[in-house]
Amino acid sequence: MIYLDNNATTRVAPEVFSAMQPYLTELYGNPSSAHGLGRQMKSAVERAREQVAQLIGAAQSSEIVFTSCGSESDNWAIGGFLEQNPTRRHIVTTRVEHEAVRNLCEHLEQIGCEVTWLDVDERGELNLDDLRRALRRDTGIVSIMMANNETGVLFPIAEIGKIIRENSDAVFHVDGVQAVGKVPINLKEMEVDLFALSGHKLHAPQGVGVLYVRDGVKLPPFIIGGHQENGRRGGTSAVPNIVGLGAACELAKNFSGHETIEKLRDKLETTILRQIPNARVNGTTDPGKRLPNTSNISFEYVEGENILVHLDRAGVCVSTGSACHSTTKQSSPTLRAMNVPYTAAQGSIRFSLGRYNTEEEIDRVLEVLPPIIEKLVEMSPYDKELKALRMSRS
Amino acid sequence: MQPQPDPVRELFFDAAHVGEAREPRFVGRGASFECGAVVRVSLRLDDAQRIVEAKFKAAGCSVLVASTSLLIDQVLGKTTAEAAAVCQTPLQLRSGELPAERIECAQLACQALIEAIRSYSDAARDEWEGDEALICTCFCVSERTIEREIQMRKLHTIAEVTAACSAGGGCRSCYPLIEDILAGVNRES
Repeated sequence: MIYLDNNATTRVAPEVFSAMQPYLTELYGNPSSAHGLGRQMKSAVERAREQVAQLIGAAQSSEIVFTSCGSESDNWAIGGFLEQNPTRRHIVTTRVEHEAVRNLCEHLEQIGCEVTWLDVDERGELNLDDLRRALRRDTGIVSIMMANNETGVLFPIAEIGKIIRENSDAVFHVDGVQAVGKVPINLKEMEVDLFALSGHKLHAPQGVGVLYVRDGVKLPPFIIGGHQENGRRGGTSAVPNIVGLGAACELAKNFSGHETIEKLRDKLETTILRQIPNARVNGTTDPGKRLPNTSNISFEYVEGENILVHLDRAGVCVSTGSACHSTTKQSSPTLRAMNVPYTAAQGSIRFSLGRYNTEEEIDRVLEVLPPIIEKLVEMSPYDKELKALRMSRS
Repeated sequence: MQPQPDPVRELFFDAAHVGEAREPRFVGRGASFECGAVVRVSLRLDDAQRIVEAKFKAAGCSVLVASTSLLIDQVLGKTTAEAAAVCQTPLQLRSGELPAERIECAQLACQALIEAIRSYSDAARDEWEGDEALICTCFCVSERTIEREIQMRKLHTIAEVTAACSAGGGCRSCYPLIEDILAGVNRES
């Protein structure tokens, strides 16, 4: 199997598994217990907290709160802020956020909050003047992702943070789920108040996330219960997962293969564009403004779900932004916000690479993909359009 | 654990009948504004209104592709009326029915087929030389044929008329006319 779906989830690293193993076997205590075993668990959790803080450049480890996933962190950040500040009901966010933010903000809009949705251009980039204009005195919270999960486009979070500070009193929440472990992050140097991350995107297991809460930012607890996580999230800590996340953060911090991943991604992308006339990249190709591992390519006039199914049979795992694979029956809101034509959005495939991919795997994908596209082009009812496209690119 | 085998995927991989029927061909399209899928069916018919060649092209999900291929399997060699009757019942996959949320994907295939048949019937109607009134223009069924079927088989509903002679099996615009004929014949008898 060739796994090119690392933005969906990643393989648990062997180092992470080894770190977790004792906590799934002999080290089974509750970190809230006062006995030796409990205290041993507690110190494992605190060590993991330190490892997370190190990776994202938090000023202190007490700013790290463990949650169950990235979506929980996003929901807690935005929902918690509104609970704490019920009169500051103006929210600023973008049209290309992950569902955890986008659907939450749509829900909040329905129950009386005012939401300003920032548009992106055809490259998937924000216009920061739009942000300046959107900010108001009563703006409560701004929620903007660091890296787009579908296209890998990076938003300039440091610059955005400054603009927010200069023009409002709003709290700044960043969904950093797709960025952590892929690009360097130093929260100390950014005007970021809240920051969500998810373990399974960086080779920790599924079921653990973090909300970074900057010292001084007040949030009511997400789960009211015991005094775990300093009373900010009740419920027994998921120690094995937390230990796994800590180990994964340390692994990510010491990882030096980003350039290799980027080279493989670029090889995949440029070869596809050269060989397949109806292929086009969605999102900017400026290397400074995109993740090194992601390539979102539309194969115009053919169906992405068909490509996915064929690649799956050939042992290649990818994702699609096509409507046929989502429950809403609409193609990706991110691609629609970027004004990608319908017939291209339907044929979009996201290739997301990871640390375990090899050049042989990329070569294999480049071998199996063109005949798949060729077969689907022959099946496409858009014969005239495809012919015109071939003429114009040959 | 291995994932469940997916009968739709197998049908998708084995999809037949991709392409375009030879001239003279009659073409119909099915499209969904909701999901963006498009399918085009082209037919070639003989003088007895029998489908002798049927092909399709599609840009849509694997369910649509599999269903269209399957539908064509089922209507090849049939008359236009028999083919339209196939579209009245949900498509049966070889190893089980489609999940409920995907039935409309399969319906697109039927939509395209019915439209292709209609375009054939439109052409046939233009050449209609009968001296009797044509009621169902989709399937070229005359008033006299409908009356005869109602009398012979003692029919009372439009559905029964459609089953008997295909009238009303296409666009349904002749439903009021069939109602009138039903009322007239059954009043007399």
